Amino acid sequence: MAIEGDVGSGLIAIGAGLAVGLTGLGAGMAEKDVGAAAVGAITEDPTIFGKAMIFMVLPETIVIFGLVIAIMGIFVM
Amino acid sequence: MFRRNGRKGNYAYTVARVKAKKSLLMGEEDYSKMMMMTVPEISRYISEIGYGKEMADLAGRMSGLALLEHATYLNMAKVFSSILSSSTGELYGMVSAYLVKWDIWNLKVILRGKSYGLDAEGIREDLVPAGSLSAESLDRLIALETDDDIIANFGKMARVNFPADVLSAYKASGNLGDIEDFLDKMHYEKLIQSIDPSSRPSRLFLDYIREEVDIKNFETIFKLKAEGIIGEQVMKYIIPGGKKIDGRQLTLFANAENAESLISDISQLDFYENIKDALESNNLRDMVSGLKRYEMQKAKKFSHLYPLSVIPVIDYMIHKESEVRNIRLIARGTESGLDRDVIKGLLVI
Repeated sequence: MAIEGDVGSGLIAIGAGLAVGLTGLGAGMAEKDVGAAAVGAITEDPTIFGKAMIFMVLPETIVIFGLVIAIMGIFVM
Repeated sequence: MFRRNGRKGNYAYTVARVKAKKSLLMGEEDYSKMMMMTVPEISRYISEIGYGKEMADLAGRMSGLALLEHATYLNMAKVFSSILSSSTGELYGMVSAYLVKWDIWNLKVILRGKSYGLDAEGIREDLVPAGSLSAESLDRLIALETDDDIIANFGKMARVNFPADVLSAYKASGNLGDIEDFLDKMHYEKLIQSIDPSSRPSRLFLDYIREEVDIKNFETIFKLKAEGIIGEQVMKYIIPGGKKIDGRQLTLFANAENAESLISDISQLDFYENIKDALESNNLRDMVSGLKRYEMQKAKKFSHLYPLSVIPVIDYMIHKESEVRNIRLIARGTESGLDRDVIKGLLVI
């Protein structure tokens, strides 16, 4: 299979992939504990579902940073 | 980095649950309100703040103080069992090792109840089926006729091997103290062994338990001193494995005639501030309350240091136990017409 494009574009693509992939892993590791705690708290008091949900999605912001870097890498650089 | 298996335990989930439960525990103002109430009013009050199900379940069979006492213990047992069932991995191991103390408590209640000629219902009132033995297993033990059968069956159910010398000493003297001392020592020995000190939270828990041993030994020495028992006789009740009080100090405390001569040594201990006044006034009751307060403060401090460890779970258990003890104390005190100030002095908040 022939590979098209120059080396620079390839490195940018790898960088973008790493930015999204590694931040995704980080967010997943953070959400593991936050999610478990949120479910535990909701079990005791179902009225805090909304608040628990907000805490649950907070680590997702890390992935957004990764995504922004990836987009910048591909479209701006 | 990716070692995220269940071996370590679900700390985040269990700790979040116990923190939520802890926020629902009674505060000082609840106890102040309860001290102004009669026993039926206390029963109604606690039914509204978490003990309702147990009170309703038992209301058909019991009433008054008996209902309140049984319902509070039953509630505590259910709460502890639910914490145990929601924990996994090494957390489960540590919580279950800690809860073995209730198996020992239950055996003591059954043996003492039998020796005082209490009926099955009377014994059941003081049982806390929060350990490894279920309420049904405990019922089977109550149904047995002799102490020997009870001890033998308990040994099989809880996997405890009673040494021959302990059994023969008990048979010779008929004193349950021999069995009780062995069980207490065995409990702390097994608990200390069950904690793997490889991580910092586990080490903190180990330190906490070893300090609990110190407090228990200190309490034992001064309780026996109040009865006029000093010297070598005291040492056989000492639980090994303490952290701050070593063998030399234990011997020194045990041999002293009174607390005054020990002030310089006792003042080196962390809990001295909590028992200072009680030691000066030679008030054993206040000293025990002071030590309980110290234990609770320590558990609270430790739980803030390491939120994702077993310590917040133990901290909650200690606070729950204290709440139940306080409710029972207020109800009993009110029933027997005890002065409110005396009741207040006995509360551990």
